[in-house]
Amino acid sequence: MRRNLSCYPLTWHLMDILEAAFSKIWPKKGGFWGPYLMLSPAILLVGLLVLGLAYIGDTSLRTLDTSTFLFSEEWSLANYERALTEPFIRSVIWRSILGATIVTMTTLLLAFPYTYIMVRTRSAFLRKFLLIALFLPFFIGQVVRAYGWLIILGKQGIVNDILGLIGIEPLRMLFNYPSVLFGLVQYMFPFAVLMLAPALTAIPEEIEAAAESLGASWQETMLYVILPMAKSGLIGAGLVVLTLSLTDFAMPAILGGGTQDFVANAIYDQFFRTSDQGFGSSLAVLLIAIGSLLVWIIFMLVGAGTLALGAKDK
Amino acid sequence: MNQPVAQKLFFWILIVISIITLSAPTLVVLGASLTSGNIIVFPPDGLSLKWYKALVEKQELQDAFIRSIWVAIICVLISLPAGTLAGIALVKYRLRKGALIQTYLLLPFTIPLIGSGIGLMLVFGEVGILGSLWPVGVATAVINLPFMIWAVSSSATGLDPDLELAAQSCGAGPVQTFFYVTLPSVMPGIITGSLLMFILSLNEFLVSLLLVDARIVTLPVQVYNSIRSIITPDLAAVSVVFIAVAMLAIAILDKIVGLEIFLKSK
Repeated sequence: MRRNLSCYPLTWHLMDILEAAFSKIWPKKGGFWGPYLMLSPAILLVGLLVLGLAYIGDTSLRTLDTSTFLFSEEWSLANYERALTEPFIRSVIWRSILGATIVTMTTLLLAFPYTYIMVRTRSAFLRKFLLIALFLPFFIGQVVRAYGWLIILGKQGIVNDILGLIGIEPLRMLFNYPSVLFGLVQYMFPFAVLMLAPALTAIPEEIEAAAESLGASWQETMLYVILPMAKSGLIGAGLVVLTLSLTDFAMPAILGGGTQDFVANAIYDQFFRTSDQGFGSSLAVLLIAIGSLLVWIIFMLVGAGTLALGAKDK
Repeated sequence: MNQPVAQKLFFWILIVISIITLSAPTLVVLGASLTSGNIIVFPPDGLSLKWYKALVEKQELQDAFIRSIWVAIICVLISLPAGTLAGIALVKYRLRKGALIQTYLLLPFTIPLIGSGIGLMLVFGEVGILGSLWPVGVATAVINLPFMIWAVSSSATGLDPDLELAAQSCGAGPVQTFFYVTLPSVMPGIITGSLLMFILSLNEFLVSLLLVDARIVTLPVQVYNSIRSIITPDLAAVSVVFIAVAMLAIAILDKIVGLEIFLKSK
């Protein structure tokens, strides 16, 4: 009952052509090179970033001649010297580091109970509600969220309108350090919960029951059982929040109103206001260095947490 | 769960604070877009849809929105094949220098956004493609690529290698095996990843800000430029577009893979 070749469906012919083409272009030693070929588009894309870093590194070593507005031909470390000695830059760097630390602590404190209840609750409805409340802001983007805070906290904002109704003078709640930190906590919250959730899911509920049956109070169970077991998740979440808030641009720009600049804002100003690309680049290198240093210190102190690579090979 | 009352109280106070903080900006933007007054006040002057009607005449906001959609589409078109192949390769093969490659592919997350943005700006400037829209799509694909790889590789861990072998022993070539066996089994990951990429690219602000000029501003940059001058309700109306897209994405995500997937332990 052999049918004529031409009776085969079109898709079969197409597949034959594809298979033939594939065997032509794919290397014969596909067994070894195949996986690397599959990885190559991603590696090339990330390569753009590496190239960009090289450009930043190069630019950071060239100083701007303010009389001719040209960059020096030869390399020097003058930009870095300036970055480390200028009081304005120093205050910006400290403001960023301090801010990122406070934001990390606050976010973890708020994210932990949220994640705990979300993971532990028996009510599917509550879990879904908490998940949606989490994803909605996550998917909305920083600018719109900051815009919402402007409406709420502004001089003619909602909070001041309400305060006005009960006869309280308008408060100035925007364009200061706390408002930037507050905006950052709200921005970072979903990241922290999403990093924490797998770690808390992995802790069996029976362990809590066991601790309680041995006479531990709930504070003791939390402190000596759950927190240590969730340590890797907490570290992972903390690292993500720390590095993202250290390098944030939008919240200081919008909620800080230009008075509460973080390092990213200073870099932007160097590129687009002062047009000193060399100095701006040296600040960018410095920011990457500070971020890596902080991460390295935490790695040394408490380990890599869930961000560890290869440690938990499937 | 038999929690003591004190614990419940303590947790719930923190959770209620969190929920309010998370939702307040969204709700307020929604409310402000519906006001009938010319400025945003509380209690609102009344309800109307006039600010949505006003959007029809705001050509620059519409253009910015269409540009943002383009950027997001380009981002998905680039990251979907690259991230899918990489995600499958990372899980399926025991690679030499696998840890090194993983660390390298995580670079978009470890380099601060401002650094990535400025670096790409310098690279694109050197090649002379700054000022067109597609490089912005490429840039958002690069900086979010780990999300795509993560989504695919986490659903590829469930892929049974025996299935592929079975297909091949039935006479399927490598291409047929890939399209009919490998790809369908990682499809939830591909959908999750693409959705994340689309949303993140649509919302991307800082890298957009660095790469666009006045002729090709994207919507987040347009909103940013406007809120620095006067806050009017038409901006709230256009922000609702972002909220609507986010809600749609959550609904799709929940329907296809279930939001609970993000709670799973590795």
